[in-house]
Amino acid sequence: MTDMTPRERVLAALRMEELDRPPVAVFTQSATIGQMEALDVYWPEAHSDPRMMAKLSAGQADVLGFEAVRATFCLTSEAEVLGAEVDPGKMNSQPMLKSHPYKDAFKAKEEVDLPSPEEVLNSGRPKVILDAVEILVKEYGDRYPVIAGNTGPFTLAGHLADTENLVFGIIMSPDEVKKWVKAAAEYTDYFTQALSDAGADVVQMSEPTASCDLLSPEMFEEFASPYLKEGYAKLKGAKSCLHICGNTYPILEHMIATGADALSIEEKVDPVKAVESVAGRVPLVGNVGVVHPLLQGSPEDCIKHGKAVAAAGLNVVSPGCGLSALIPNENLLALVKSVKG
Amino acid sequence: MNAQAETLRKNLVDAIVECDIDKTKSNVEASRGILSPQEIIDALSEGMHEVGIKFERGKLFLPHVMVAANAMTSAVALIEGDLAESMTGGSRGHVVMGTVEGDVHDIGKSIVSTMLQCAGYDVNDVGRDVPTATFLEAVKEGNADVLGLSALMTTSMQTQKEVIETLIEKGMRKDVQVIVGGAPVTQAFSDKIGADGYSENASEAVKLVHRLLGN
Repeated sequence: MTDMTPRERVLAALRMEELDRPPVAVFTQSATIGQMEALDVYWPEAHSDPRMMAKLSAGQADVLGFEAVRATFCLTSEAEVLGAEVDPGKMNSQPMLKSHPYKDAFKAKEEVDLPSPEEVLNSGRPKVILDAVEILVKEYGDRYPVIAGNTGPFTLAGHLADTENLVFGIIMSPDEVKKWVKAAAEYTDYFTQALSDAGADVVQMSEPTASCDLLSPEMFEEFASPYLKEGYAKLKGAKSCLHICGNTYPILEHMIATGADALSIEEKVDPVKAVESVAGRVPLVGNVGVVHPLLQGSPEDCIKHGKAVAAAGLNVVSPGCGLSALIPNENLLALVKSVKG
Repeated sequence: MNAQAETLRKNLVDAIVECDIDKTKSNVEASRGILSPQEIIDALSEGMHEVGIKFERGKLFLPHVMVAANAMTSAVALIEGDLAESMTGGSRGHVVMGTVEGDVHDIGKSIVSTMLQCAGYDVNDVGRDVPTATFLEAVKEGNADVLGLSALMTTSMQTQKEVIETLIEKGMRKDVQVIVGGAPVTQAFSDKIGADGYSENASEAVKLVHRLLGN
């Protein structure tokens, strides 16, 4: 199995085939300053230029030896083309939403005319991401799996109508919340399919606002699940991977029930317990800690954690959440080594 | 407290625990003139304390806490006029709270602010995406006892450290206790950057501030 390409290995792992070792790949935001310096491509410019984005997206493979390439570094592009103001961030910080275009409309329970998904998602930075995926497929697709990231419906609804409105609305105006998540899902579904059509092997959808830090499992089931389920049922082509931050142990069953082809989990979930609970029904991606060991630990800590996650039986060893740009190369190299040997 | 007053007091506590904004407000109206403004605030705070405990135990979730906090704030607004005249209990300390620059997450931070207010602290919530200089000004101006720094991203956590370093540079570090929080933040990180305390959630944050100030 040593002559497998990283692409074959990752796709086999996602089919839960038996392998001599799991692949090690960053399925979440992968760019770091170490890669930017090695490739001479930097944030914030790489967020809005397809060539630069593709080059930096491949940094995890080219610079560090991970077994995937992964496009886009933030969750703000969809909201931006829908009218949210975005601060582009700096070399060491991600773009940040400065406003929510439908914050007042949510409060006033207004009916609003939203633009069509085709129109907005083929413009601006979403278009940059689609182009970057095409470049990656062309230049890396024979050897590496191309992962594309996008924003889940509940999270995007929060970006559009303000997360505080959404969370408050769960108790005070539940129908309004559902209306906005449904509206956001139109964009999410369209973009997921567009990324798949651009040639992505996996679309990793991040749904951080639906985490257990914000919603109870029952709320997740009522306000987030139905829209994820509908979207996944329609998706053709790429594998879907659902990423939710925080301790998702209480909602693993609900996450499986969305029909996602793979689940990506954070370090707050015990990897052994997660594997036991999921019991081979869906592949798991994760969950080496981003803060500890990757950001703050030593290379030895990273090796220890990488080995522990692989031994627990996660199908793809990956960081549990988007990388901090400040994580040193030696820690990421140690993680790669811990799995690949 | 007579039986009628005790019933009113209990209704106030219950309305907050039920996360019912309208009920809380109508119960406050019904209590005015019978309970003192201070007694009303105490009852609402007791309710918030209970909400905090239920949140910690996983019986209530963030949406409930947000609604309860809103109920508390709207109820206090109703009696603000009465309060000014009769306020007896002094503040237990001055706290400056905010989310560090480069980070716009503030739901959790706002809840910590409300809980600290309920617990008798004078809180200056300076908002989100707050430049370091603004924190320092607010600390100086209010002669703050505690500075609370929130960060929800692995990138913005570094800014918590920068704020502490700036406090040291300006010779202000010994004047104020610094507490840190936010999803990626841990006790180990707090120790590493030289903060005085970390807490995982809002109720723990209140206990932490009590402990730091000897209350």
